[in-house]
Amino acid sequence: MEYVSPFDERRRATEPLAPRPAALSGARVALLDITKRRGDEFLDRIEELLHARGAQTFRLVKEIFSKPASVEIVRRIADRGDLAVEGLAD
Amino acid sequence: MTASAVTAPDFSLPSVAGGPVRLADLCDRGPALLLFVSEECPTCLLTLHRLAPLVSELSDAGVRVAAVFEDPLEVAARVARRSGFAGVVLSEPAPYEVSRAYLLESLPTAVLVDGSGVQLGRVVGWDAAGLRTLLSTPVTDEPPLRKPGCAAKNTYDPEELRRLDGGGFDELEDMFERGWTDGLPVIPPTPDRVEAMLAGRDRSELLGEMAPALARVTLERVAACAVLAGCRPEYFPVVVAAVEAVLEPAFNVGGQAVTTQPCGQMLVVNGPVRGAIGLNGSVGALGPGWRANMTIGRALRLVVSLTAGGFPGRLDRSTLGNPGKIAMCFAEDEELSPWAPLHVERGFDASASVVTVLGADAPLSISDHRSTGPEELARVLGWAAAATWSPNWWPLGGTSLFVICPEHARSFFEWGWSKQRVREEMFSAVVRPAGELRWGETTPLVNAAADDQPVRKWSSPEDIMIVVAGGEAGRYSAVFGPCLGMNTEPISKEVQWNT
Repeated sequence: MEYVSPFDERRRATEPLAPRPAALSGARVALLDITKRRGDEFLDRIEELLHARGAQTFRLVKEIFSKPASVEIVRRIADRGDLAVEGLAD
Repeated sequence: MTASAVTAPDFSLPSVAGGPVRLADLCDRGPALLLFVSEECPTCLLTLHRLAPLVSELSDAGVRVAAVFEDPLEVAARVARRSGFAGVVLSEPAPYEVSRAYLLESLPTAVLVDGSGVQLGRVVGWDAAGLRTLLSTPVTDEPPLRKPGCAAKNTYDPEELRRLDGGGFDELEDMFERGWTDGLPVIPPTPDRVEAMLAGRDRSELLGEMAPALARVTLERVAACAVLAGCRPEYFPVVVAAVEAVLEPAFNVGGQAVTTQPCGQMLVVNGPVRGAIGLNGSVGALGPGWRANMTIGRALRLVVSLTAGGFPGRLDRSTLGNPGKIAMCFAEDEELSPWAPLHVERGFDASASVVTVLGADAPLSISDHRSTGPEELARVLGWAAAATWSPNWWPLGGTSLFVICPEHARSFFEWGWSKQRVREEMFSAVVRPAGELRWGETTPLVNAAADDQPVRKWSSPEDIMIVVAGGEAGRYSAVFGPCLGMNTEPISKEVQWNT
């Protein structure tokens, strides 16, 4: 039986994961606060643990948790960071 | 007619009235007429239609009449109802052993059995004279007087029987297997149906990319969803306008489609298209019963959940959902409203047809049959919304849609109140000191405020949206729960259709 699909049937190429770093020491880690409540507290603690392991960190904040990060934020993470940590949920 | 003094084989078959019925049950007080039929046989339908008026007369004469369908129970029930057949209705499943035991070769076959279970005679096909003799009662002499029937299903070969028994292809079940559904049966989107929905439009026209799957939403895919939902082609312009509205970035459908919140995408329709396609804004406007309301709302939800990937339990993580996520679309009753309709308030010409889409939770009914003045009624309506989202989440920071029933709207009008006056009274009346709101889930504003600082439920009167809909009798209005945290705005789009 022939039907018209409601789906976008394009096949999309899988993006390969970036290589995992062997150690955190010296790594530049982006900490992305998506503005969910208490996400900043969670990232504060993560930041402490990263510093204890010799990583450098920098913080970014999304405009609102329910929308994708702006291109500008993504570019800053890609340009300046080796790793990123995002604080999800409440 | 050929009389054969042989015992009628006993049987026990499911009845549409519930429970099995045996031959002995039919013959316990006298003769029974067994009418073997099938929906697929035109002569069977003719026979049912023509014998239906005789059922009560035969019953008075002591003859029970039972139609034995070689069809599933639900088919038997439907065909009997449409034929006006008020006798016993039984369903015989494949492989039709009862029909085989009665040595049926074709349908319809009428078999008269006496009270002791002996076959008194039978008539095959439609044969007015034969039936008159068999039943000893007048039978219509409308032409045709004779009409042959179709092969009885017990004579089918095994492969054909397997198909009838559900072993073959079933396109409705196929839709479930593909996942092209919201959990309810859908209309399969065959090329012909989609073509009819498109009505000559360019099927490849791209309306936009919709999150969360970032799917390319073409007119063809929207038409496929409209077919699946059960829309008629004349509804399609409204569906397209709704999809265009949802695609506006300010609506943030991607956030709504994946959130743990219960919100769905609700549609309010204004303008002449309402009457042209039978969209209901009157009695039961927020409930079931109207095809345009149910299927337009459903088509939009299928675009979000199928095409765009926001399917419940997968990317849609809504903790509870709400029934409005199946479909929620209604018309404003502009004719009974004493005020300017929603689309005019939002800057459209009164003659335009407009769809407004909102992210919204389920509606909460507000009964008020006692208020004696406009302030009192506005406060009842406003305070009903005080607990929406969460009892202490003040201000909401989003839009509340109130659906005011015609009786409430008329009262406001007779008291001389405009829609804006109602909105302002609701806004200023629903206020509490911050100290009373500081428990459970509350807002940063409340947390930072002094105990005696007044806090309102809404940030401004403009966060209160009002439309008029519902039956002319009854003082039940409603408020929809909001969709928060999405930076979502109500979006309105004009419907492009031929008046």
